[in-house]
Amino acid sequence: MDIVSRNNVTVTGPQDAPVLLLAHGFGCDQNMWRLVAPALAENYRVIQFDYVGSGRSDLSAWDATRYATLDGYAQDVVEICEALDLREVSFVGHSVSSMVGVLAAAATPDRITSLIMIGPSPCYVDSPGYRGGFSAEDIDELLESLDSNYLGWSATMAPVIMGNPDRPELGEELTNSFCATDPAIARVFARATFLSDSRDDLKTVNVPTLVLECSQDVIAPREVGAYVHDVIPGSRLVTLDATGHCPQLSAPEATLAALTEFIGNQS
Amino acid sequence: MSPLTTIVQDTDTGPVLHIAGELDYSTAAELRETVTGLALRPGQRLVLDLAHLGFCDSSGITAFIVARNHATAAQAEIALVAVPGPVLRILRVTGLDQVFSLEPGTDAQNGRTASG
Amino acid sequence: MCRTGPSPDPPEGGETTSTDAAFTALLEDSADELYESAPCGYLSTLMDGTIAKINTTLLTWLGRSREEVVGRMRFTDLLTVGGKIYHDTHFAPLLSMQGSVSGIALDIKKAEGGRLPVLLSSVTKNDSTGRPQLIRTTVFDASDRRAYERELLRERQVAEAARTQAEEDRERLQEALAVLQQSLLPAALPPVPGMEAASHYHTASPDRLGGDFYDLFPLDGKRWAFFLGDVCGKGPQAAAVTSLTRYTLRAAALHDPDPVAALTTLNTVLHERYAAGDPRYCTAIFGVLEQAGDTVKVELASGGHPPALVMRQDGSAEYLPTPGGLLVGILPSAPFTATTTELAAGDTLLLYTDGLTEARIGEERELFGDVALRDFAADLTHTAPHEVIEAMTGLLNSFGDGLDDDTALLALGVPTDRPDTGSDSPT
Repeated sequence: MDIVSRNNVTVTGPQDAPVLLLAHGFGCDQNMWRLVAPALAENYRVIQFDYVGSGRSDLSAWDATRYATLDGYAQDVVEICEALDLREVSFVGHSVSSMVGVLAAAATPDRITSLIMIGPSPCYVDSPGYRGGFSAEDIDELLESLDSNYLGWSATMAPVIMGNPDRPELGEELTNSFCATDPAIARVFARATFLSDSRDDLKTVNVPTLVLECSQDVIAPREVGAYVHDVIPGSRLVTLDATGHCPQLSAPEATLAALTEFIGNQS
Repeated sequence: MSPLTTIVQDTDTGPVLHIAGELDYSTAAELRETVTGLALRPGQRLVLDLAHLGFCDSSGITAFIVARNHATAAQAEIALVAVPGPVLRILRVTGLDQVFSLEPGTDAQNGRTASG
Repeated sequence: MCRTGPSPDPPEGGETTSTDAAFTALLEDSADELYESAPCGYLSTLMDGTIAKINTTLLTWLGRSREEVVGRMRFTDLLTVGGKIYHDTHFAPLLSMQGSVSGIALDIKKAEGGRLPVLLSSVTKNDSTGRPQLIRTTVFDASDRRAYERELLRERQVAEAARTQAEEDRERLQEALAVLQQSLLPAALPPVPGMEAASHYHTASPDRLGGDFYDLFPLDGKRWAFFLGDVCGKGPQAAAVTSLTRYTLRAAALHDPDPVAALTTLNTVLHERYAAGDPRYCTAIFGVLEQAGDTVKVELASGGHPPALVMRQDGSAEYLPTPGGLLVGILPSAPFTATTTELAAGDTLLLYTDGLTEARIGEERELFGDVALRDFAADLTHTAPHEVIEAMTGLLNSFGDGLDDDTALLALGVPTDRPDTGSDSPT
């Protein structure tokens, strides 16, 4: 199978520059990096991709069982690293991809040598002695929100959204075209994201790690950022003065500065 | 594919059923229904005219057996008339050529009492 | 278009002027009043979500005062927790990338508890350098629409659940049918000393039990019995007859292995069982194999079944006629025709059901027929029974749509390289 087209892998930046692998989170695709990727590509080999089931990936490769847990997404990352024979990779994971990066780094320690986590949370649901910020009912409510907004999704739009525009006129009808995802697939990704518990996996991290959090983030509150920072020995915690869960969109300059400073210190 | 057509003609010796078209799994049930609906008196003879039967498979053979059982139950006789070559071949293989009396075609005039 | 100030265009005629005046009187709303009491909610937020401006309509829906909200609450504070996650993972990124988002369905929380389903659309207002400054959002009351949509969703979920259930049921049924079908056939043919046997069963439809059957089993130390046949019809009723037929023939053979006697017993059983109502009958060949020196003696009888085919070592293929044998089960007593042959080394006896000869081929959909079968078989002389079955299976597959009936095949042959001739060289 051609991994590059399966995961819609795009590569920019100088060929022999240090490698950055940018992994999007739940809810969107590699478009999430559009405000930071061009600047990063000036000094780094920037690899972007869509998880199978997201963006312009090959939907026929999607499998409900494989992508029901974060391991399936980590497998995508590992397969991309192997297909491009990437070495000395700094893995930049947004949101849930931070934990995917942890799993991928454990699977290919010879390829992934540092982790940058943007808005990480190892576990979203509260449990005794741990505050993730959400209850199981909250997650049900999210799934309901997803369902409500699927009404705007239609199968005829899928080819356009997924990048097979044999009917280009449909593209103009799309309003929220970025990040549109097949409802059934998004549901599986949502469950894998919000119902997984990667706290034990965090303890396996033994590569230099940057934890990048926003000062106001409902999804990954500051106490969760502090938890991640505490569990990973030697990790660095940087708090951006930003609201929301996507600093690479809402505060791209600050995000870039924190990223490049951390990576610069590694080499 | 031509559908099955059956025309019933009443004669002095008993009903003559002219069967035309294809007799297979999808049409055999129709013929069975027609045949078992025929009123037969003891000593009468039920004639199945197969001159215009285009195709017949094992489901059709079952329908002939149903016709025979219906006739026997009414103490009537049964005959197959103008049996096409391929059907005759099946009747020989299955031994039914000994059970039905087989007669050549008579070019009997078509009946006017139509059904199906 | 509603005008909120004096018309810039001079009135053109008396009638127009009076209409215009009437409109102006009606529409003397100021832009402010239009904003405050519009039939939808308006909201302006800073880029960090802080609410900077909100109209009266939305405040009324929320049940909050302006002082509580402006400068104190963020937009996401108005949403349910699930809605907040959706906002931060979908709405905000989309807005940031596109500069606008439209028709997103979320719930807003009312101050006194309870929720209002709404449809949200947002645009960003940019400064002269294109930097976003402000987010403007309209909020539509979508209670009725969302109730309807929820109903649609619920129905779709019910339909999907029903479909899943139906697929599972279908799978279970097919499994049950497959098990039942297998019970009508031997799991594997037993090894017969000095002979080779091979078989194949072609199923026309996985949903429908077929009525073809065959078997091969020992009678005593030196004799083996075999049979192959076809029950009329398909489906569970036919399968019930098939089952009755198979076990009747097996039992009858142990009692009296004479082929005509075995078929006669079967005839009696089937006729007695199905005399009334729906006729159920079968065609069958029943036979007995007996080793006689270097050859195998075959004694068989047919009840209305297509004749067996014998492929000889000398390259010929001929039918073994059994004329006059009647369908089994239609008459209280029936004639069955017996015949015998001998199989020498390299000879194979092939039994088949009429699915093979009644397959329809070519554009004219003509019957494959017994002449074509014999010609095909003539090319298979000098091959072992399992190779004959392989070739016949290939033939069946080549019929494609033309084969719509179940077909059973049984080949019994005497190998040319029998161990006692010493040609079975070790490999």
